[in-house]
Amino acid sequence: MAEARQVTATQDRRFQTYQLDEAYDEMFAPDGRPRPQYLTLFNRLLELSPSELEARQQSADLSFLHQGVTFTVYSDARGTERIFPYDLLPRIIAAAEWETIERGLIQRITALNLFLHDIYHQGQILADKVVPREMVYSSKHYRREMRGLDVPHGVYVAITGTDLIRLTDGRFAVLEDNLRVPSGASYMLANRQVMKRIFPGLFSQYGVRPLEFYGQALQNTLAALSPVSSEETTIVLLSPGVYNSAYFEHTFLARQMGIPLVEGRDLAVHDNIVYMRTTAGLRRVNVIYRRIDDDFTDPLVFRRDSMLGVAGLFNAYRSGNITLANAIGTGVADDKAIYAYVPAIIRYYLGEDAILPNIETYQCGEPNERRYVLDNLASLVVKAVGESGGYGMLVGPHSTAEERATFRTLIEANPRNYIAQPTIHLSRAPCFLEGQVEARHVDLRPYILYGKRVTILPGGLTRVALRRGSLVVNSSQGGGSKDTWVLTR
Amino acid sequence: MLYSIRHTTRYQYTSPIVESVTEVRMQPRNTDYQQCSQFRLQVRPQARLFTYNDEQQNTVHHFTQPGIHQQLAIVAESEVLVLPRPGLPAWLPNDSWEAIDAASGQHWDWVAPSNDTAPTEQLQQLANELQVTRNEDPLKLLVALNHRLHRSIAYDSGSTHVDSPIDEALQHRRGVCQDYTHIMLALVRNYLRIPCRYVSGYLFHSRTDTSADGATHAWLDVWLPLLGWVGFDPTNDMLVNERHIEVAVGRDYHDIPPTRGLYKGNAGSEMNVGVRVRMLQGSAEQIENNEDESAEPTTYRSTAQQLQARYAETLAAIQMQQQQ
Amino acid sequence: MNAMLSRVADSLYWMSRYLERADHIARQFDVHMTIVTEQAVDAARRRRRRLLTTLVGEEEYAEAENSDYHLSVLLTFDENNPNSIVNCIAAARENARQVREQINSQMWEQINQMYLAVRNQRMDELWSGQLHSFYHTINQEVYRFQGITDARITRDQGWHFVQIGRYLERASETADALNVDFRELYSNALEQDAVDQQTYLDWVGLLRGFAAYEAYSKVYTANVQPRHIVDFLLLNPYFPYSVHFGINRIQSSLQFIGEETETPKSARVYRLGGRLRAMLDYAQVDEIMDSGLGSYLLNIQNQCTQIHQLVYETYIAYSIEDKLKSMQ
Repeated sequence: MAEARQVTATQDRRFQTYQLDEAYDEMFAPDGRPRPQYLTLFNRLLELSPSELEARQQSADLSFLHQGVTFTVYSDARGTERIFPYDLLPRIIAAAEWETIERGLIQRITALNLFLHDIYHQGQILADKVVPREMVYSSKHYRREMRGLDVPHGVYVAITGTDLIRLTDGRFAVLEDNLRVPSGASYMLANRQVMKRIFPGLFSQYGVRPLEFYGQALQNTLAALSPVSSEETTIVLLSPGVYNSAYFEHTFLARQMGIPLVEGRDLAVHDNIVYMRTTAGLRRVNVIYRRIDDDFTDPLVFRRDSMLGVAGLFNAYRSGNITLANAIGTGVADDKAIYAYVPAIIRYYLGEDAILPNIETYQCGEPNERRYVLDNLASLVVKAVGESGGYGMLVGPHSTAEERATFRTLIEANPRNYIAQPTIHLSRAPCFLEGQVEARHVDLRPYILYGKRVTILPGGLTRVALRRGSLVVNSSQGGGSKDTWVLTR
Repeated sequence: MLYSIRHTTRYQYTSPIVESVTEVRMQPRNTDYQQCSQFRLQVRPQARLFTYNDEQQNTVHHFTQPGIHQQLAIVAESEVLVLPRPGLPAWLPNDSWEAIDAASGQHWDWVAPSNDTAPTEQLQQLANELQVTRNEDPLKLLVALNHRLHRSIAYDSGSTHVDSPIDEALQHRRGVCQDYTHIMLALVRNYLRIPCRYVSGYLFHSRTDTSADGATHAWLDVWLPLLGWVGFDPTNDMLVNERHIEVAVGRDYHDIPPTRGLYKGNAGSEMNVGVRVRMLQGSAEQIENNEDESAEPTTYRSTAQQLQARYAETLAAIQMQQQQ
Repeated sequence: MNAMLSRVADSLYWMSRYLERADHIARQFDVHMTIVTEQAVDAARRRRRRLLTTLVGEEEYAEAENSDYHLSVLLTFDENNPNSIVNCIAAARENARQVREQINSQMWEQINQMYLAVRNQRMDELWSGQLHSFYHTINQEVYRFQGITDARITRDQGWHFVQIGRYLERASETADALNVDFRELYSNALEQDAVDQQTYLDWVGLLRGFAAYEAYSKVYTANVQPRHIVDFLLLNPYFPYSVHFGINRIQSSLQFIGEETETPKSARVYRLGGRLRAMLDYAQVDEIMDSGLGSYLLNIQNQCTQIHQLVYETYIAYSIEDKLKSMQ
C-alpha cells in the first residue's frame, strides 16, 4: 500500500480525515490540490459553514421524502417508507472525459447489438471462432426461441446501463454490461431534481449538462422502435407489480413518460395482437418497456408458472406486432463469461479497438487461464458468471484458505461458470458524512438509449460505497448514490 | 409409402375456461425421406390459425380462443409420402470418433445434455450395465445399444407420464417410447458424446411392434459422419424406416410437445389423444397392419395440464376473491 | 375516449367499498353498545341477532348472540370473519397498495395508519374503557380518508369508481338494516305505527346506526315513527346515508364514466341506475308500506347487485371476446 497522503489545499477541519492513496481521487490530484473541474465546488464547500451544509443536507432529505423517492421496507410488516441513501456532493466529470466515455459506450453498445443479431441469426462470429460457440450456447440467458427472429428495427438493447469504474491511472473501464433490465435511472433523475434545489448557484456557475429530458428521450426511443408509426403508438411499462423492489422506479418512469404502468394481468393476446384491458375496452399495445425478466414474459414459452407475463406474447413478438424493450435473450451478451470477449467482439464487427478498456478477465473455461486462476486465488476476485449483486464471489485478498479451497473445488467442477479478475481499486469521490468531507469509492452507471440511433444521457447514476473502506456500491449493502455532473465545454 | 394420418386431441375442462392460448406441433416435416403433401388442422372452438417455423424448422401452428368454452378439439390430418432409407454400412471409417468430436461444436445443442437427458445415478448404473463407452465403432455401438436398451426396459403404457424424469422409468425399468428415447439420448450424449436429437412422430404399426398403436410415437436421430442423421427406435428395437413418420425434432420432448397451451379459469383438464395411420399406397403384404380405428384413444392426465389449471388468474377470479 | 386500466378501477372501487364497510360496522357496534345496556336480556339478544344478520350472516353465532364481548371480537378482530373490521381495512389497504401511484400519498398514509392502529389494538385494553373511543376513531379516520379523497383527487374516472364503491356499499347497507329491523320490530308492534317503549330504543338505534338521528329530528322532530324512518332513510334525497341519495350519486358517476369511455354497453349500466333512481324519485312511503316494505327493499338490493355486476361486465372483468367483437 502506498502511503496515505493528506489534502494539501486546505487546513479546513472538515477535510482532516480525507484520505488519498493509490486509488484515483475524483476531486484531488495526487499532489493534494483540487482538480480543475472540482475547484469551484471545493471553494464553495470552504465558504459554507458546517451548519449551512447540515441544513442543506436536511433540506435534501425532505425533498427526497416529498418527491416520494423512497423504497418500502416490507420486511418489517409495517410498510415503512425509507429514503434511498444518497450523498450531497456531486460527482463532476469534465467535458473531455465524458466525450471518451460517450464514444466508448456508443461503440460498445453498437457492437454488442450486432453480436446479438449475429448469434441469433447466422452465427458468423461463432463460425469464425472469435467467440467459442459453447460460451454462447451454454449461457443460461441464451434463448433458442430467438433464433431467426427479426426484432423490430434490429435493435436488441434499447436501454442499457453500463457499469464503469475509474482505474488508478484515471481511465474509465467497463466493469459490467447490463443489457437485460437495467435499473436506477429514476434515482439519477431524482438526485438531479433535489440537487438543483440545494445548490442552484453552483449549477449556473458550472454549466451542468441537463438530464431532465430523459423521460422524453426514453419515450422517443421506445416510439422509434414501434412496429407502427410513432403517432399511433401505444407504449406501456410492464411491471411485476407492487411487491417488486424496483416498483418505485417503474411508477416514476411511467409518469415521466406519461405511459400506462401495466401488469401482466392487464394484458391479453389475441390473434398475435397485444391488448390492454381498460374501462373503455381493449386497447392495442405496440411497445412494451418490460421490467420483468425473459423467463417471466410468456408462460407459454418460458416459465409456465409465471403469473407476471402474458400467454401468447412471444408469438405476437415473433409476428412483428409488438416491440419488447429490451428484446428477449439479450442477457447472453452481458454474461460475465462473454464480457471477456467484448473487445474482440468490437474488433470483429467494427474493426476498431475498444475505446473503453475491460477489466482484465480470466476465463476458467480456458485451461491455461484456469491454471493461472487456481495458482493465484489469493490475489484475484472470482465471480460466478450467472450471478449478480455480489453473490457467488470470492475476494481473494480477504479470503480464508478454507474459502479458497471451496472455490477451487467449485471451479474445477464447473469451470465455465467462473471468471476471475485482479482486485481493482475503484476511484474515490468526496462525500459529506457526519460533518466531515471524506473520500468514498464510487462507480458510474451511464444510461444508453438505442432507438433510431444511440444516445447517451450526459451523466448517470454514481453509486457510492458509503461505509468507510467498503468497495460495495449496491444499495442493498450500504451503498448510496450521488448526482453526476457532466460539464459543458 | 403414402400414408394418411389423423391425429385427434380433445381437452375436456372440469369447468368453463376463457382466453386459451395453444401451440401445436403436428405437421409432418419435409425431409430427404419424407414429403408432407397435405396438411389440414381444425380446431373447435373456431379460431384463426397462425403458423411459424421454430428454430429446428418444425412447423408450429398456434391460435387463441378468447370466449368461454369447456372443450377444445384439435384434429390434424395429413398425407405423407415416406421413402425407404438406404441401408446402413456395417461400420464407419476409422477416424469417425475424431470426426464426431470435430463436429460437436456446430452440434452443441445436440451433444449437451438437456433437462430431460441430464446424467443421474441410475443412468450411470444402466451405462455400466450396458457398457456404454467409446470402445468400438460408433455405428456398431449404437446399433447394439438400441437393441440392449430395448431389452433392459419393459414397455408399459401406464408406467410414466409426459413429465416423468428418466429416473422414474429407470427405477422400475418400465416406460413408454418417450422414456426409451430420453434414456438413449441421455446415454448417447453423456457417455458417447455423439450429437443426437428427439424425434416425435407416428408409426405405421405392425403386429410385432412393442409400442402402443393409436398414439404418437417417439424415437431419436443420431448424427454420424458421412451418414448424417440416422434414426434409432429403441422402443421397437429397430432402425427408423419407412413406417416412421417424422413430425418434429428437438433436444427432448419438452422442446416439441404436440400441444402446449394455457388458459384462464379455475378448471382441471383431461386430454384424450387418438392417432390413426392408414396406408394409401404401398405393399400391404410387406407390413402387417393391425385393424385401424379399433384402438381406444389413450387417456392420461399430465402434470403439465394440472399446472395449466393452476394458471388461474382471470379477472373473473379476481372478482371472486373480492367478496361483495 | 378516455380510458383507465380496468385493474386500477377495480382496486379503487374495492378500496372504497371495504372502507365504507369498516366504517359501517364500527358505527353499528358503537351505537349498539349505547343501546343494549338499557335493554332487557331478551331484547338485547334479539338486537345482537339482527346485527349479526346484517353484518356477518345468517349462520348461528351462539357466543356472539349472548355476549357483547364476543360480538365485538367477531365484528372487529376475527380473522375468520371476512367482514370483520380488521379484514375490511386490510382488504382496503391491499387494494390501495395496488394503485398507490394513482392515489394521493396522503390517502395511502391514512389507510396504512388505520390498518396499523387496528392491528395493534389489544382486546383487553379495548374493554377497559376504550370501547367507544376505538370505534369512534375508526369512523373519524374513515371520514378523514374520504375527506382527503374528495379534497385532493381529480374528478376523473378513478374518483367516480371510488364514489360508486362507496355509495353502492352504503345503499345496500341501509336497505339491509331497514329490512332486517322492520321485519322483526314492525310486525311485532301492536299498533303498527305507534312506537312502544320496548321498541323505541331500537328505532332510535336504527337511525343512529346511520348517524341519522339529528338529521331526522330536524325534519320530523323527535317523533320517532317507523314510517318516517323509512321515508327518511330510504327516500330522503338529501341525507348522505339514505338509499335515494346514494343511488343519485351512483347514477351521476355511472353517467360520467359512460360518457368518458364511450363504451357501447355503458347505456345498459346507467339505464339500470336511472331506473332505480326514477323508482325512488317517485316513490311514496305509504304506498311502499302498503304493498310491502320487505319486497321493495329486496328489489333495491337486487338492483344494487345488478349494477355492480354490470359495472364489472362493462368496465372491469369483461369478456375479451365481446370487446373484440365490438371492435370489428
